[in-house]
Amino acid sequence: MFYSLYLGGESLLQIQNLIVTAENKQILKGVNLDIGDGEFHVVMGPNGSGKSTLALTIAGHPKYNVRDGKIIFDGSEITNLPPNERVKKGILIAFQHPEEVEGVRIIEFLQQVLHELKGIDLADAYDLIVEKAKDLWFKEEDLHRYVNVGFSGGERKRLELLQAVLIEPKLLILDEPDSGVDVDSLSVISRKIEELHQNGTSILLITHYGRILQHLDPSSFQVHVMKNGKIVMSRSGEFVEEIEEKGFQKIFEEVGI
Amino acid sequence: MNTIEIGEAKEIIAQEIENLAERNKEPEWMTRIRYKGLEAFEKAPHSDPVISIDQLLHFIAKPETAGIPEIKSLEDLPPEMKALLDRLGISEVEQRYIAGLAVQTDTSIIYNQFLKEWEKKGLIVLPMEEAVRRYPDIIKRHFLKMFSPYESKMAAYHTAVWNGGIFLYVKEGLKVPFPLHLFFLIQESSLAQAPHIIIIAEKNTEFHLIEGCTSPVLVRHSLHLDMTEAYLHENANAKLTVLQNWPEYVHTRPMTRARIGKGANFLNTTVTLGSGKSNIANPKYWVSEKGYVELNGIILGQKDFYVDLGGEMYLQGKNAAGINASKAVIMDESTVITRGIIYAQAPKSKGHISCDALLMSDTARMETYPGLVSQVDDAELSHEAAIGKIKEEELFYLMSRGLDEEKATQLIVKGFLDPMLKDIPTEFLVEIRKIIELAVSGGM
Repeated sequence: MFYSLYLGGESLLQIQNLIVTAENKQILKGVNLDIGDGEFHVVMGPNGSGKSTLALTIAGHPKYNVRDGKIIFDGSEITNLPPNERVKKGILIAFQHPEEVEGVRIIEFLQQVLHELKGIDLADAYDLIVEKAKDLWFKEEDLHRYVNVGFSGGERKRLELLQAVLIEPKLLILDEPDSGVDVDSLSVISRKIEELHQNGTSILLITHYGRILQHLDPSSFQVHVMKNGKIVMSRSGEFVEEIEEKGFQKIFEEVGI
Repeated sequence: MNTIEIGEAKEIIAQEIENLAERNKEPEWMTRIRYKGLEAFEKAPHSDPVISIDQLLHFIAKPETAGIPEIKSLEDLPPEMKALLDRLGISEVEQRYIAGLAVQTDTSIIYNQFLKEWEKKGLIVLPMEEAVRRYPDIIKRHFLKMFSPYESKMAAYHTAVWNGGIFLYVKEGLKVPFPLHLFFLIQESSLAQAPHIIIIAEKNTEFHLIEGCTSPVLVRHSLHLDMTEAYLHENANAKLTVLQNWPEYVHTRPMTRARIGKGANFLNTTVTLGSGKSNIANPKYWVSEKGYVELNGIILGQKDFYVDLGGEMYLQGKNAAGINASKAVIMDESTVITRGIIYAQAPKSKGHISCDALLMSDTARMETYPGLVSQVDDAELSHEAAIGKIKEEELFYLMSRGLDEEKATQLIVKGFLDPMLKDIPTEFLVEIRKIIELAVSGGM
């Protein structure tokens, strides 16, 4: 029943004419995007086209200032909400470069997160985290390490996915989940993404290379291409193959943009 | 504040010496040491950056002393203190016979039955006054051997009016399997609490002493002048953890010195959490062949707290090693200064100074002056320092997982200190974390 998935349900995320600056430089120059409940969207584009800025702006990064436009999520405007309120509403971002937090143990951090977001008591949260971590190749003792400190690229991305599995957001934004990741980690990450999607999570996946898309079913997502701060093309998932083959430059030339 | 002359202060000190000598039924040799302190008081330099000479004289001249109810057992403790012990789980721990506990108030020490039993195995924990009477030969050989009353007026004043403190003796080969707790309370205003602590760890011993300094009654301008002399013999393995949580009006001048014998280890951790007025310390360590000393300072500076930490290490034996590390969280208008010095005086000795600070406000201030002095060819000396604010990216990472700014900040601050909070018993860690959380919330 792909079809019903594809059409999606109610609109979950609506981005209207979003104009964003960072350090007084305009990066997003009027982005429009609609993601329906349960849908899977991929955003591609060359370096510097604004993909990561879009992801971080939706998550509420303080570095990015929304100068114009709106972000509406689940029926209410979230353009100016702090990041912690956004995740409470159901938006979670898995970062391209997850930050190291010295001295903060993964397990204690995630226990507090689950308590905060879902009201799970700390002992139950502990068991749940250990259980879910196995699928992402983390042993119990790994969870007593400090958040991302000394982690390889693959470990960092797997830890981001673990957080997604635990938090169960309505919308998961994945910023370059395939960059800096070994082949084995990439396959476990893509399996988890599919699993989350099948369980009803909407996905917004940002990728430069499309490497991860080889592990995903192209009929399950649609793809948008960004150029110079705008979404310039929106197509079905199969279009990825053409991008891979020709490269962004040639495609832009063909359609005359 | 009425100004008083040094002559008047000397008279008051002399009277106090007589009172202490009589109260403690002290042998004459000890009273003579006190008078040496009095003699030195006038000539010794006064170089305290916070307490002026007038203020010091004022502390000394407090005219009347209020009666302190006599405290003989844990049951007689003031309710605040009992509540604190309960919070720390001490009473419970004690009941389970895994910890020794000695509590000192302004004038007396309470210690429990449990420790008396360990005395038979060679562990002596005694109030210093009692140790002076019972073990005069040992005390004579170790009392005030690492300090001179002529060093400073504070050292001279301590020598003259020292009161309280403990004598800890660990017999050769004895490994004490539980941490020993010692608490200080200041109950009386304007009185110098000046405990003297002597630690002797014979060969191949092991112990962990925890000093919890607190002041359940808010008193104005109290002065805490403790002096610790630690003698660690060959292969002794010692830990000294000092927890300081003073209220706003307490000035502390902890004076700690230690001789670390051949192959001995000394881990000295000091956690300073309160909003006391000032804390100026310059511990000194002399390290023999293959000896090792680690000085860990954890500081949470609040309000206008002024902390100045020295720390001199003399690596005197081949392969001696020392680390002087500090982590400071500096809030409000507080100032933290660190100035550790390591002298490498023997071949293959190794020393390292590190200083990390997290500045929580624009008016918080940190200064660090590491000193490395190599007096031999093949010593290894190094230092590193990092002073900064909480990174926006770190805060955003935690907030993007649902924690509000306050909780995320608390987590980062606790995390910043965490790597240094090793070897601290869990019940204290819980308390320390709680204090940090409250301080961070209060500062936001």
